[in-house]
Amino acid sequence: MVLELKKITKNFGGISALKDVSFSINKGEIFGLIGPNGAGKTTMFNMITNIYEPTSGEIIFNGENITALKPYKITEKGICRTYQNIRLFSQMSTLHNVMVGGHSQSQSGVFSSVFRTKAQRKEEQLLKEKAEELLDLVGLLEHKDTIAENLAYGQQRRLEIARALASNPSLLLLDEPAAGMNENETDSLYDLIKTVQSRGITVLIIEHDMPLVMKLCDRIAVLNFGEKLAEGTPDEIQNNEAVIEAYLGKEEDEVDA
Amino acid sequence: MLGEILNTYYLQIGSFILINIMLAISVYVPLSSGQLSLGSAGFMGVGAYTSALLTIHFDLPIFVGVIAGALAASILGVIVGIPSLRLSGVYLAIATLGLGEVIRVIFVNWDSLTKGSVGLTGIPQLGREILEFSRGLGFEPAMIGIRNNQFVFLSIFLVLLILVIAILWFVIRQQNSRVGRALQSINMDDRAAESMGINITHYKVVAFTQGAFFAGLAGALFAHVIGYISPADFSYHRAVEVLIFTVFGGSEVIIGSVFGAFFLTLMPEVLRFVSEFRYIIYGILLVVLMAVRPQGILDANLLKKFKFKRSKGGVR
Repeated sequence: MVLELKKITKNFGGISALKDVSFSINKGEIFGLIGPNGAGKTTMFNMITNIYEPTSGEIIFNGENITALKPYKITEKGICRTYQNIRLFSQMSTLHNVMVGGHSQSQSGVFSSVFRTKAQRKEEQLLKEKAEELLDLVGLLEHKDTIAENLAYGQQRRLEIARALASNPSLLLLDEPAAGMNENETDSLYDLIKTVQSRGITVLIIEHDMPLVMKLCDRIAVLNFGEKLAEGTPDEIQNNEAVIEAYLGKEEDEVDA
Repeated sequence: MLGEILNTYYLQIGSFILINIMLAISVYVPLSSGQLSLGSAGFMGVGAYTSALLTIHFDLPIFVGVIAGALAASILGVIVGIPSLRLSGVYLAIATLGLGEVIRVIFVNWDSLTKGSVGLTGIPQLGREILEFSRGLGFEPAMIGIRNNQFVFLSIFLVLLILVIAILWFVIRQQNSRVGRALQSINMDDRAAESMGINITHYKVVAFTQGAFFAGLAGALFAHVIGYISPADFSYHRAVEVLIFTVFGGSEVIIGSVFGAFFLTLMPEVLRFVSEFRYIIYGILLVVLMAVRPQGILDANLLKKFKFKRSKGGVR
C-alpha cells in the first residue's frame, strides 16, 4: 500500500467537508476519486498535501504518518500534485517551471550558486536535462523558452504535470487534468497518464470526465457530501445503486438531480 | 591633467548615487520574493550607528566597522524576519515601517550612547583613512597630479563603485540559480512553490536578511562618507524614498533599481537651476509614471526588445 487514508474528517467552522473517509491506494495503480461538485475531492487533496490539516484522522504514506508534515516535506517524501485551477509560475519560462519542480531533487545553496562551484554547475546541468526530458514527455519541448502564461490552456495543464513529475514523486495527484480539454487533448492525456503509470508512479486522479475515468482507473472511490459512497473497480462503480442515485437522482425525486 | 578633470562635486554626487543603488537593491531583493519591506531606513541606521560607534570609541579600522555594521543589520533582519514573515503584502510593509521607527526612536532617546537627536559627529572618514593609508605606503596624490581632497573623493567613489559591482554580481548570479528560481516562484505563487518542495520560510528569511545586510552596508558607508549622522537621516522619509527608487526604475528587474536610484538621485541636482520647483517636478514625474507605467520604467519586456534590436543590428 502506498497511501492509506484513515477516517479523515475535516470541519470548516460548523460545516463538515469530509466525514470519516477511509480508503487506500496500492502501489502502481491509477486510483480515481469522483463525485459531484462540492463532495470534498479537492479538500481531500489539500489534506494529503497538508495545505489544510485534517480535523481528525491519519494519512499514512509508505508506512509513515505524514498527517502533520509541512507541505514541502511531503513533496520531499514523494507526493506531488497539480491544481484544478492551474497554478503555474506564470511569468517564468516553461523550462524554468519544470526546473523549479526539481527543487527537492537538488540542493545548491546561496554560496555555491553565487560562486558556481563545480558541483553546482553539474547539478544545474542535470536539472536542465531532466526538465527537457519531461517537457519532451508531455510534448512541450519546442515551447521550452515560452513564458508559461502564453501557453494554450491544454499545454498549461500538461506543463503542470511535467512540473510535478520533476519532483520525482512516487505518488502523483492530478486534480481534474482533463478539465477544459477537447477530445484529442483528452486522448493524449490518457496516453500520458498511462506512460506515467508505466514508470512505476502511482496516480490518484480527480476527474469529471467519466469515459476517461472508467477507461483509465484501476479502482475508484466515490465521494458524496463528504462521505464515501462506494469503492471498487470501474465496473462495480458503474453498477452501484447508490452511485447512480447520487449522480442521476432517485427516480421518484423529480425536483433535484 | 587628471587634476583638472576631477570635479569633487560630481564625485560626491556619484558616491551618493552608488549608496542609493545599494539601498534600492536592499528593497529589490526581498521584493523579488514577494516581500515588501520598508525597513531599509532602520537597517541602514543600525549599520551606520554600529560602524560609527565602533570606529569612534574603539579606534577600529573603518572596514572592520563597516562589516560589523552590515552584520548587525542582518542579525536584526533574521530576528525580526522570522516572526514577521508570517505577514505578507501591506501588513509586512507596515510592520517593517514600524520597526524602522522603533529603531529611530531608540537612537533619539539613548542619549548616553547615541547623543540623541544631535547625532554623532567626528566619525572617521573613509577618504581620509584611505589617504593616510596610501601615504603610509609612500604614495602622494600629487604624484598623479591631483590634490589631496580630489584623491579623497575619488577613492570613496572607487570603493563604492567596486562594492556596488560586487553586490550586483552577487544578486544576478543568485538570481540565475536554484535559489533565484525558488525566490521567483515564491513571488509568483507561494502555495504552488511550497508544494514543489520549496521551504518558503527559509527562502523568505534569506531574501529579507540579504536586504537587511545591503541596507546596513549602505548605512555604514554613508556614515563614513558624510562623517556625521543623526536619527533624522534614517526616518521613514528615507524608507519611502528608497522604495520609490525601486518602484520608479522597475521592480521586476534588478537593473530597474539601479536606474531608479541613479536617475532620482541625479535629477534634483540637474534641476537645481529651477530651485524651488524641482521637487514639484519630481512629484509630478512620479504621478505621471505610476499612471502610465505602473511596473516602473524598465521591465523584462522592454529589456527583451532592447536586446532583440541590438542583436538584429549585429547581424546587419
